[in-house]
Amino acid sequence: MVGKRSKGAIVALVVIAAMLALPSAQSFPTGISGVQQSGCNCHGAVPSDSVVASIDGLPESYNYSEAYELTISFQGGPSQEGNVNQGGFHLWASEGTLSVSDATAQLYNQNEAGHTGAGNDQLSWTVTWTAPATDKNVDFVLHVNSVNGNADGVGGGTSGDMWSKVAISVGGPVEVLEATDPFVVLGVLIIVSASLLAITLAYVFYRKDPDAFDWDNFAPWLAGWMTSTDHKKIGTLYFVAGLFFLGVGGIMAMIIRIQLSVPGNDFLTQEQYNQFFTLHGTTMIFLAAMPMINGFANWMVPLQLGAEDLALPRINAMSFWLQPFAALLIFTGIFSGHGADTGWTGYAPYVVSEGAHYGTTMWAAGQIMLVASSTLTGINFLTTMAVMRAPGMGWMQMPLFSWSILVANVMLFLSIPAFGVGLIQVYLDRVVGTAFYDIAAGGDPLLWSHLFWYFGHPEVYVVVVPSFGIISEVIATSSRRSIFGYRSMVYAMAGIGIVAFIVYGHHMFTSGMSPTLRFVTMLTTMLVAVPTGIKVFNWLMTMHGGSLVYRTHTLWALGFLVTFTLGGISGMFFPSIAMDTHLHESYFVVAHFHYVLVGGTVFGFFAGIYYWWPKATGKMLSEKLGVLHFLTAFVSYNALFWPMHRLGVWGMTRRHHTYFVTTEEALGSLPMEAAGWNMFITVSAFLFFFSNFILVFNIIVSSIRGEDAPDDPWGGWSFEWMTSSPPPAHTLYKLNDGSWGIPTLKDANEHIANEPGWLSSWFQRLLVTDEDTEEESH
Amino acid sequence: MSVMTPLFEGLWDHYILWSVIVSAIAFGWLYHHSFWFTSKDGEKIPNVDEIEIGVFPKHNDDMRLEVAWTILPFLLIIWLTYYSWEPLDAMWTSEDGGVHGYECEEGQVSNNVMDSDGIITSDCYHVIEITGQQWFWSFDCLELDGSLCGSSTETMEVYGSVPVLHLMKGETYLAVMESIDVTHAPWFQHLGTKEDVLPGQQTTLWLPISESMTEESMVLCAEYCGDAHSIMAAKLMAHN
Repeated sequence: MVGKRSKGAIVALVVIAAMLALPSAQSFPTGISGVQQSGCNCHGAVPSDSVVASIDGLPESYNYSEAYELTISFQGGPSQEGNVNQGGFHLWASEGTLSVSDATAQLYNQNEAGHTGAGNDQLSWTVTWTAPATDKNVDFVLHVNSVNGNADGVGGGTSGDMWSKVAISVGGPVEVLEATDPFVVLGVLIIVSASLLAITLAYVFYRKDPDAFDWDNFAPWLAGWMTSTDHKKIGTLYFVAGLFFLGVGGIMAMIIRIQLSVPGNDFLTQEQYNQFFTLHGTTMIFLAAMPMINGFANWMVPLQLGAEDLALPRINAMSFWLQPFAALLIFTGIFSGHGADTGWTGYAPYVVSEGAHYGTTMWAAGQIMLVASSTLTGINFLTTMAVMRAPGMGWMQMPLFSWSILVANVMLFLSIPAFGVGLIQVYLDRVVGTAFYDIAAGGDPLLWSHLFWYFGHPEVYVVVVPSFGIISEVIATSSRRSIFGYRSMVYAMAGIGIVAFIVYGHHMFTSGMSPTLRFVTMLTTMLVAVPTGIKVFNWLMTMHGGSLVYRTHTLWALGFLVTFTLGGISGMFFPSIAMDTHLHESYFVVAHFHYVLVGGTVFGFFAGIYYWWPKATGKMLSEKLGVLHFLTAFVSYNALFWPMHRLGVWGMTRRHHTYFVTTEEALGSLPMEAAGWNMFITVSAFLFFFSNFILVFNIIVSSIRGEDAPDDPWGGWSFEWMTSSPPPAHTLYKLNDGSWGIPTLKDANEHIANEPGWLSSWFQRLLVTDEDTEEESH
Repeated sequence: MSVMTPLFEGLWDHYILWSVIVSAIAFGWLYHHSFWFTSKDGEKIPNVDEIEIGVFPKHNDDMRLEVAWTILPFLLIIWLTYYSWEPLDAMWTSEDGGVHGYECEEGQVSNNVMDSDGIITSDCYHVIEITGQQWFWSFDCLELDGSLCGSSTETMEVYGSVPVLHLMKGETYLAVMESIDVTHAPWFQHLGTKEDVLPGQQTTLWLPISESMTEESMVLCAEYCGDAHSIMAAKLMAHN
């Protein structure tokens, strides 16, 4: 029985051993003729098997700081008694200190020694190696020349000489683990995750009907999922994909955090680090956040509108099935060790330069597919909302979550063509040899930045606005009140949708863009605070006079209010250009966008998962596990991202694979405390990562033995609570007379229900009118 | 110890003040309501808005409040914009004047002075050239003599051999910058400024070296530029 203390000690030992294993020198001498500094000045072009080099006196494992006398010798080759010269050597030791004791050998530096002119006519030499004082894996590389002695004589020079090489590794008193290639770690973890996903899939099938657990039943069941056009099944598929990639992106974040935990770390090389942060960003935005939004929208928009399905179910299935293949393309590069290394922003001209990895081409191709997928999704949802609202539901009676999806899709629909155009240009530049971004041929270095951010800024609102919708639903339902200021909520969301398009220049305050544009976007960026402020105050006011029921989704919504407000406030620092020139590309930016994208978007998703899970599956989630999940995740999340603000102000730069601390105040490197804070962030990051497994566990427990959910467990008013939990395969609603069908929305505000208002009548003139749709449906 | 300039610090403190005020209001309100208006089962104040499934709920709004929290944030951002406006004159570079005057004649000195807000003004400025390249900086003093500007290299512990730009305290420099391959951005950490350097397009950056400038400071690359991005460093030495 191992006690608690010794368990802790073992863990600490493993951690220490792992950290010690991380540094590993790579500058092996290659032994190619002419490499004077790092290898030997070997005679002859190819190594010879007939020469055998050896080092005697090396221990199996060294003792700390002990001096070992090494005898270097060789046999074979043209060297023989009587030659003017016999041979030479070059020894390199990755760690420890070499020293020489006689005139036959000389020291180049503490890691390298070689023979002298006086030592040129012998077959063995002696050098002393002092072992390092810590545990290291020490590599020795010895090169020897076997010389025929004709250097001054007939034939001249080094012709006929031969050389050989031997490499030996020695460990310290405590065995040090070899550092693993981070890509292998990532690959293994992805494969493990995928296997777990497959096992879960098999288990879900097994639970469905334990007696029919065989291939003949499994194949049609699986085919049913793969060919389904049911909005609920596709919504579930989006969730599976989104959560899987949330995990993959999370694993990458953890690897990034391991690298940054101590200054000067070399767990990742810069080249690997570049690929990790690129794929982390792309995965989280495009393969995790967007599919999860589509998952919520697929599930809930038709249910909230009182529709049977989306307007274009086959297009919907196609939108989804483009995503896994796009994901494969985006990740293809890393299988060859050449993943995209451009950052998720992919700034030109680096993205088309020869220095950028081959994987960048596939990364661009994958994103073009995602652009197609998002465009189709946009068409689908806008059409559904225009023509499939239940009778009685005007635009201004749509539930706020549906409104948020409408705003998000309008934004996406108007902005993503710019991104698509840019990506196609990049793709053509890389593949066909066009010159959109070839500066030498007259390409524009800022064109991509404009195209990208014209899309990129609305995009970050696209991923956060659906969370606003979820929070509006959750806060109102949990407070037992109707949302405060429904109409100003809608206008604020629409306002965000409009402002999104005129602020993107704040990403380019230091880009060489014209000062006039910078000034204009400074003014417009400040405006973002107004609609988001309205939303935050409306949410707070909704709670006023209500009776807040504390459920897990309530906690997440309150947590969202805290973190999103903090992220919004830190966002106000950027439009002030004189501050932005310092904060741009620092960890302050990293802290800010993780506060709004994790504390905003992901916390909103968690609230939505806990809120709608009973409706979607017919099973309740455990409240105890849910509260535990919230508390652990909320605390570790804040511990993870809050200190990054300080690091950014200190001058820690984003996208640098490592950083350095110094006690010298004069030198602008980070102060010593920065190392401690980075370790703290890494520990918090792991806690946050693992805290989310409580949700996974909760989902598994709920699926196996969760209580059955009632139709309206939380007391919401919208149509999704009118159908059964889970809803029937062909969505219909329980009507008052006991039959199933499409419901009619009543309005408690009858006096205004008959006056659509100027905005909705304007919309209705633009879009298909209610009379038209009613005629068609009869 | 910080890399903050007085200009940055002034703005920062002001923004922090307003952040604290806004957070105090929002979080105080949130804290109060999340404990005051609660119930375990929703019975304490049952269904004030008569919420019912399938019925769009009664409007719960108050025009005066909604207008209030549209107008108040709006006034705040107008104030913050106004507050951030003044330093802008010191940010933009233009060859025909501005806070740093015109290019110095031979033998003329900038005599720059910093006011209480941290804004530096000068009589005239000197022009130097900065070129970015994967993955090092090169500094060119152009026609300036050694008493005004110099460049050398130095071996640093972690960055290896880095270029060093020697500038004089009290002098103001205009860096005319270009890249010969991809986008880079020098972050003059103790000046609190950075600007992208682009291939095929010149960008400019003020380097006003005040009397209070620290002697040695780092220049890091702030725009991702490929494999050795994080060790693309240089050093700025400010001499008396």
